[in-house]
Amino acid sequence: MSEDGTPEGLVSRDEIAQLAALFDRFEFAFDPRATATKEAESDFDNLVTKLFEERVRAEHPEVSFTTFYCRIKTHCRIYLRKNAP
Amino acid sequence: MKACLGFDELLGAGQPQIGEMERLGALETKPDQPDAAAAFSRQVRILEGILVQNYGVAATLARKADDLQEVAEIWSRMGLFCQAALQSLARLKEKHPHGAAPELYDLALDYKLACDKRHRGVLEEIACQKTELPKGLFPEMK
Repeated sequence: MSEDGTPEGLVSRDEIAQLAALFDRFEFAFDPRATATKEAESDFDNLVTKLFEERVRAEHPEVSFTTFYCRIKTHCRIYLRKNAP
Repeated sequence: MKACLGFDELLGAGQPQIGEMERLGALETKPDQPDAAAAFSRQVRILEGILVQNYGVAATLARKADDLQEVAEIWSRMGLFCQAALQSLARLKEKHPHGAAPELYDLALDYKLACDKRHRGVLEEIACQKTELPKGLFPEMK
């Protein structure tokens, strides 16, 4: 449970925030060719893979990596909209 | 300020510049047009600016969009703009292999691939919405 009383998940709110920051740096980068863009995407992919392998695969074998990856991205979009600049 | 432009209008405003680049590219090889090479080179740079600017606008709009279908539409349209530029540049880079056209072709191709990747990605997200996930996987978003 977070400080404001909303339930946490296997993936925490802080982790979503961290992933959203990386997602922002590659998905909405003005220069898709920039090294920083590619590094952010690689870091994002590594973190999603780590979360899936360490927390999801064993506990929820019915969830595929593709589905998990897609849902993470959707959560990142929502997070970024709610915490825009 | 009340003046504003929709994304389609912005992309539409850039389209004639692709045609202008083709026109100037055709003039460049004519001996009676001594300034044509410089004009063509300037036009390639103008199109480069438009391409980069439009991509940035697409990225900004995609970030703000609250609907995944809208995001898919943005990247699809930006991809079509890149494709139009690529078709023209594919002809011009053969004709002017030592000018700015081959470089812009490579840039447009990378931007087109980036649009396609984002478009495919968001279509996957839309498809995944139909899959029900176990409760407790993600935090509840207030």
